[in-house]
Amino acid sequence: MKRLAAVAALLGLAAVTACSGSTGDKPAAGGSGSGGGLYTTIDGLKPGLDVNGPINPWNPKGNAFLGFNAMRIAWSKNHLTDPNQFYPGIAASWEIAPDNSSITLHLHPGNKWSDGKPVTAEDVKFSIALAYTQGSTAFAIDPGAAGAASEVEVVDEKTVKITQDMDNPSVTFVRGVMDSYIVPQHVWGSVLPADFWDKLKAARGEGAEAEKAREEITALSEKVLAFAPPKDVSAGPFTLERMNPSEALLVKNKNFYNAANVGPDQVKMLNYTGNEQIWNYLIAGKLDNAPFTAVPADVMKRITTTQGNGVVKGYSPVSLGMAFNQSKKPYDNVHVRRGLAYLINRDEVTKIASPEGGTPAVTTTGIHQKPAAEWLGADLAALEPYKLDVAKAEEEFKEAGLKKEGGKWTLPDGTPWKFTVNVPAPFSDWISGAKAVTSQLTAAGIDAEVVTTADYPLYLKELAEGKYDVGFWLIALGPAPYNIYQRLYGVSNGWSILGGKLKHAEPGKNGNWMGGPETIEVDGAKVNPGELTAKLNSASGDEQKKIIGQLAKAANQDLPVVQLWDYVNTQFVNTNRFTGFPENDSDLLRQPSGVWIQLGMVKKKQ
Amino acid sequence: MTAPVIAAGGGRAALRRNFWRGVWRVLKRKPSRMVGMVIVLGFAFMGVFGPMFYPDPLPRDTAALYAPPSWEHPFGTDFEGTDVLALLVTGSRYVLLTALVTAVITVVVGAAIGLFAGFRRGRWDTVLMRITDMKLTIPGLPLLLVLSTIWKFTSALEMGLVLGLLGWGGVARAVRSQTLSLRERGFIEAARGLGLSTTHIIGRELLPSMAPFVAMNMLIAVTGAVYAQVGLFFLGVLPFEANNWGVMLNLAVFGGGAMSSPAALPYLMAPLLAILLLTLGIVLVVDAMDEIFNPRLREE
Repeated sequence: MKRLAAVAALLGLAAVTACSGSTGDKPAAGGSGSGGGLYTTIDGLKPGLDVNGPINPWNPKGNAFLGFNAMRIAWSKNHLTDPNQFYPGIAASWEIAPDNSSITLHLHPGNKWSDGKPVTAEDVKFSIALAYTQGSTAFAIDPGAAGAASEVEVVDEKTVKITQDMDNPSVTFVRGVMDSYIVPQHVWGSVLPADFWDKLKAARGEGAEAEKAREEITALSEKVLAFAPPKDVSAGPFTLERMNPSEALLVKNKNFYNAANVGPDQVKMLNYTGNEQIWNYLIAGKLDNAPFTAVPADVMKRITTTQGNGVVKGYSPVSLGMAFNQSKKPYDNVHVRRGLAYLINRDEVTKIASPEGGTPAVTTTGIHQKPAAEWLGADLAALEPYKLDVAKAEEEFKEAGLKKEGGKWTLPDGTPWKFTVNVPAPFSDWISGAKAVTSQLTAAGIDAEVVTTADYPLYLKELAEGKYDVGFWLIALGPAPYNIYQRLYGVSNGWSILGGKLKHAEPGKNGNWMGGPETIEVDGAKVNPGELTAKLNSASGDEQKKIIGQLAKAANQDLPVVQLWDYVNTQFVNTNRFTGFPENDSDLLRQPSGVWIQLGMVKKKQ
Repeated sequence: MTAPVIAAGGGRAALRRNFWRGVWRVLKRKPSRMVGMVIVLGFAFMGVFGPMFYPDPLPRDTAALYAPPSWEHPFGTDFEGTDVLALLVTGSRYVLLTALVTAVITVVVGAAIGLFAGFRRGRWDTVLMRITDMKLTIPGLPLLLVLSTIWKFTSALEMGLVLGLLGWGGVARAVRSQTLSLRERGFIEAARGLGLSTTHIIGRELLPSMAPFVAMNMLIAVTGAVYAQVGLFFLGVLPFEANNWGVMLNLAVFGGGAMSSPAALPYLMAPLLAILLLTLGIVLVVDAMDEIFNPRLREE
């Protein structure tokens, strides 16, 4: 629906890296006796509540609210550079093998489901089996998938060890494991056949039998998605009590491991279908928290004048880029892309499109400016900043053979150049941004227009089919460096890892819509950016830093995208009823407020 | 021998003169009708000549985003500092041309099918009316939403064509029933008795009696077409044009927060007022037209 949901969904997909051992943080201690009250919020991932949706975390319309009644093994901190930091979820602590080959999870002792049955290692193993049917980075059934688990072993009632298939390791393995939803086996047991793990073993082999087993497991996917437990049995801080089309009511789960520190007794999730509804809830002071929502400047003023409302800002590992389809002329020419970069005034575009939720990109590196400063250090300043410079743009265009006739730029053969940028219609900030870009280009003599696509899924489909010349594209999906650069030099630009081998597809094939060349020239030397990106999957330490430096330079000179603005995670809190919300720049801002509550931070105002 | 011919020609000219004099008299009778006429002519002028008064592209003032109304910007500015009135005026051509094309197609196709089916009756009637029934069962808006995913409607003619082809059903049905009643009247029977051709009877005998109804339908189709296309653009399913009225409404509500804060309110109000004014103008003109064509309403 709205931009916020799209960003959140993509963040959910972002998996991660690093190879150091770590243990979980202890939940924040909170004074007891500060509980009570009704906490009102919205779920940023679910625009439009569906009363008929199953209480199923895998179902996109399901009524499992992340952090409230849907639990993950652990909650990622989305740290700037170290993606292996988590807050405890179902697991209280964990050990990661130094070579990233395995992770051992220790569940909270004495943790129970809301129906009183204990949360066990078997539940975790069973939920992982469910995750296999949906396919994910850590639990993929394709043989040779990078970062897939090879074994799930129940060590004792509260301990599970998950081993990575080291034939084709990936730094995304740990994050993939931690992001798994955990559901009760005694409720969901009927969904999977008793011999599931044998089937899985067979699916990992080769030949007709393995193929059949893979098909059987994939066929279970629909069954898992459709499963609707008769009532909510949750290991989260809340359980779903009842709902109607306008709101869902959740009540405190007395059996939750940290129930003593959970502030609110009840949580109300309000329905919304668009950002403007969220703005109105905020202006009315109804919401105790609203996750990242695009807000126009004047509405922001109205919201902040409401008694108790406050704005908390933090880092959001997402940037917006304007991506080129290099199989279309004249965007195959790097000088055209550079010329366009010189003509776009990013400060003005950001001011018009996302004054509250973004900061203008300092340059194009493919990384959000905050982690870029950490990864690149002084090298960041050495990169070409592409400040507004009409003279340089003209130079670049001339280098590309474009001609200016009667104040209008034409292609080298004299045919008119029509610059068309595509954006999905529901994202109002992208539309404003695209319009600002075309206005700037039109003023510089380029015939530019914005074309919208009815919705985001259709937009992504048409983009992947290579139907657009230029389109807006989320980049810098950190914190794992591999995930950051696969947005520029991954599947959408032709490089995919199949069976542990990196392959480059021709433009227009296998999802390659960016259509860049396999090797590009960086400082006069030939570089294969896809190969470098794939290396980030297993590189660590200084090697990782070196590769990121090379890729940032490549992205800066090759410009597969022009980075427009870096998102700022702007959230709203209201301190009339509750206190203890995260401060500015807290890593918890990158998790839903249910996680803040379950860690014992949010307290009723005394 | 030439005298009767001259007399006939002079008679027709006199009839036309009398007609326009009648129109003028009818308009003058109620000031509201004059107002309606002025509004409609004003919109027609705006659609034809309005865009010529503004430079292309329209100037932007990025220091004044969502500026409040002032002498310089009577309806304020939009999200990138462009004058809202300029957007409204330059955008009127697409909206009005679409509405005109829609109205013409609706009325021509609807009246032709209705007249022919009603006059011929029998097999032709059955076939044409079943087609009309089928057409009436197609829900317009959902179909347009689906169509918009494959067709971008960049030109007003395309948009008008689609809206027109979706809208003739009601007119065809109404015209047919009128025809069924008229064809039993004496003057039609006389015409048939004289052996006049179907084209003559339909074109010269039936159509003039139907003219007021058809003309009013045409004006009402204009408002319908404006609502339909502005609605589609408002929903964001059609291509982006900053000066399209529907796009302006969409961006004012979803981008500027016009429903939540006053800054974008003028941006929202401008296209709304324009649509309201156009509708008002048409309703007032329809009132006059009713009297022009319907002798029983004439207050001589």
